[in-house]
Amino acid sequence: MAEISFPLPDLGEGLIEATVLEWLVSPGDQVERNQPLVEVETTKSAVELPSPQAGKVVRIHGGPGDKINVGEPLIVFEVPDNTAGIVGTVPKEEAPKRRVRLSAVLDED
Amino acid sequence: MSGRHTGEQHHHTVEGTDPQLYVEVHEPEADTGLRPVLLLHGFSSSTKLNWQDTGWLAALLEAGRRVITVDLPGHGRSGAPEDMDSYSPSRIRADLLQVAFDAGVRPLRDGDPASGLDVVGYSLGSRLAWEFGATQPELVHRLVLGGPNIADPLAAFDLVAAQRYLADGTPIADESTAGLLKMAQGLPSNNIFALLSLVEAIKGEPFDPAEAVPHMPMLLVAGEKDDRAATMPELAELGARSGALVEQLLIPGRNHSNVITSRAFKQAATEFLGV
Amino acid sequence: MSNATLESGAAMAEGTARRGVEQLSMQQALNRALDEVLAANPKALVFGEDCGRLGGVFRITDGLQAKHGTGRVFDTPLAESGILGMSVGLAMAGFHPIPEVQFDGFAYPAVNQIVCQIARMNYRSRGTMPMPITLRVPSFGGIRAPEHHGESLEALFAHVPGLKVVSPSNPHEAYHLLKYAATRPDPVIFMEPKSRYWQKGEVDFDSPDPAGSPTGGSPTGAKVMRAGRHLTLVAWGAMVARCLQVAELAAEDGIDIEVLDLRWLKPIDEATLAASVRKTRRAVVVHEAPLTSGLGAEVAQLITQACFDTLKAPVERITGFDVPYPSGDLEDEYIPNIDRILFGIQRVLEYKRG
Repeated sequence: MAEISFPLPDLGEGLIEATVLEWLVSPGDQVERNQPLVEVETTKSAVELPSPQAGKVVRIHGGPGDKINVGEPLIVFEVPDNTAGIVGTVPKEEAPKRRVRLSAVLDED
Repeated sequence: MSGRHTGEQHHHTVEGTDPQLYVEVHEPEADTGLRPVLLLHGFSSSTKLNWQDTGWLAALLEAGRRVITVDLPGHGRSGAPEDMDSYSPSRIRADLLQVAFDAGVRPLRDGDPASGLDVVGYSLGSRLAWEFGATQPELVHRLVLGGPNIADPLAAFDLVAAQRYLADGTPIADESTAGLLKMAQGLPSNNIFALLSLVEAIKGEPFDPAEAVPHMPMLLVAGEKDDRAATMPELAELGARSGALVEQLLIPGRNHSNVITSRAFKQAATEFLGV
Repeated sequence: MSNATLESGAAMAEGTARRGVEQLSMQQALNRALDEVLAANPKALVFGEDCGRLGGVFRITDGLQAKHGTGRVFDTPLAESGILGMSVGLAMAGFHPIPEVQFDGFAYPAVNQIVCQIARMNYRSRGTMPMPITLRVPSFGGIRAPEHHGESLEALFAHVPGLKVVSPSNPHEAYHLLKYAATRPDPVIFMEPKSRYWQKGEVDFDSPDPAGSPTGGSPTGAKVMRAGRHLTLVAWGAMVARCLQVAELAAEDGIDIEVLDLRWLKPIDEATLAASVRKTRRAVVVHEAPLTSGLGAEVAQLITQACFDTLKAPVERITGFDVPYPSGDLEDEYIPNIDRILFGIQRVLEYKRG
């Protein structure tokens, strides 16, 4: 198993920090990509942050009311070693399937 | 943004000028077959800030609802027309009606769950939703009003002080005006002069919820610490007195600016509209 | 290889203590190789997009920054021309850069640096400015990724004088070939078959050619991965594993196929290639890249040149199509599949002269 940590992303508008309103996941939860993780509030607006990937939540940083700076750790996932890529999907190893049969009279000259 | 029918809708102008509204229709992956939901955002916000970044759009699509979003004039990706008339609430309501019909909304019919329209508003959007529901009873099925108020705080906005402040930096005495202007200036995407036009137009047509009261079921939601929605119970009473089924929900610990992401709010709204 | 010394397998094993055999994925094997290269050569540097803190999008550089420091394993801006341009300067200053271009298709913006600087500087400077740069490129398709994430650039780089091109087919090859490439004085384009990153295999750390492997030879040569009598399948990268599957299926039909992993795509080990086809007298080349001007043409010509008198049929090429690499959903139609390779073998088997 590998751990992947995600920092609080840049929320745009020159914001440097956000306040945690409410966590929507807890350590131990299995989350899907794009599943809402946490509600945070900035000086400009409140937003719900979607999960950048699937995985099991290992740790969350900051409780309701806590400030987190952009770039500081927000959440840590545990993922199987073989899914620790970011682009594309891991190919499945499958038993080879065939439709073509070979036929040949081989003269061993 | 997802959705098959996206982009600016230029096909219809209700009165004279093109309102330049940015409209999107978002299709769910698994449609429940229920009527679409129209989302109306608040002052100085946008579809993106009020509904998308907060997870509302995803939650409604997840619930299998078709969603219509529109940026108000001078907000988000909508244009900022120069004529004051484009910002008047009555003109906006007329444009919203056209937007709804363009998106395929049809009048309510008994026993047809796909007919009609549900409307969710927040803050200024709640005012527009209230009026829209009151004036379009044959179209609107249910209302969800977030952070609602019996009197539009924008009506008390000190426009002269705001303009003076923008011109030469003279401090604004009125706390509410200063706060609203600061909020509007906080977002570089806002067209501040279009927003002031909207304020001026609203002052010309201030919110009078008793003038026309919606009769369809409505859910009123506000944060427990939302000073701007302190009068929500009065609004609820007004609706109930005229025979509407009214539910109220207070979200603990939240205020006017952060109740919007609340899961409890979204769940209550989705359930309330899921009939 | 032109200006690199050939080394025996035994000489490559470090130290005298035997390290044995481990089951590793290609990711882990490459990671291990980089770790050891960094430890052994203080001038070696590993860098690229997300290579530092994140450890690479495929985790090939995972943990290396923590172990070797931010001065030796680091992130770069999203600018491939900068990554390779910086490599040129570092090589001039005596370093051994091991840059990564995150995906095959991202190498295009750096073609000027690779072709006009890295490949030529040694030539241009009359040998006073070697370019010991090992460019790792996660390559080929098979992971359902978007455009620019599934391309096969071997023919492009093999065509450039001054570059060497190599592609490992399994974890064992990956470990040994990367360790070898990253200690060369010449620029090497190291094409990692990203669809094979996750499959585990035995890595024998002591020898690139463990006892009992069909045939080995020099670290710069081609390698027979399965011996056979009737036909030689020539492949590299991810296609080697597929050809080995095809060989097993062909055996059910009584056809005994030899699978040759070309490994080095520039220069090509003509001797091993010729020896294999001289024995089997039939050959099919398989690659993911498009057909026209693909490396299969070069291989077919080398075989024809060496084995014309004894070939029983023209060399077949089973390749991708002459179209831009398709989106993930169409990948299985594009990459040579088992049946297309079997068809190619059948055409060769039933070929009659005259």
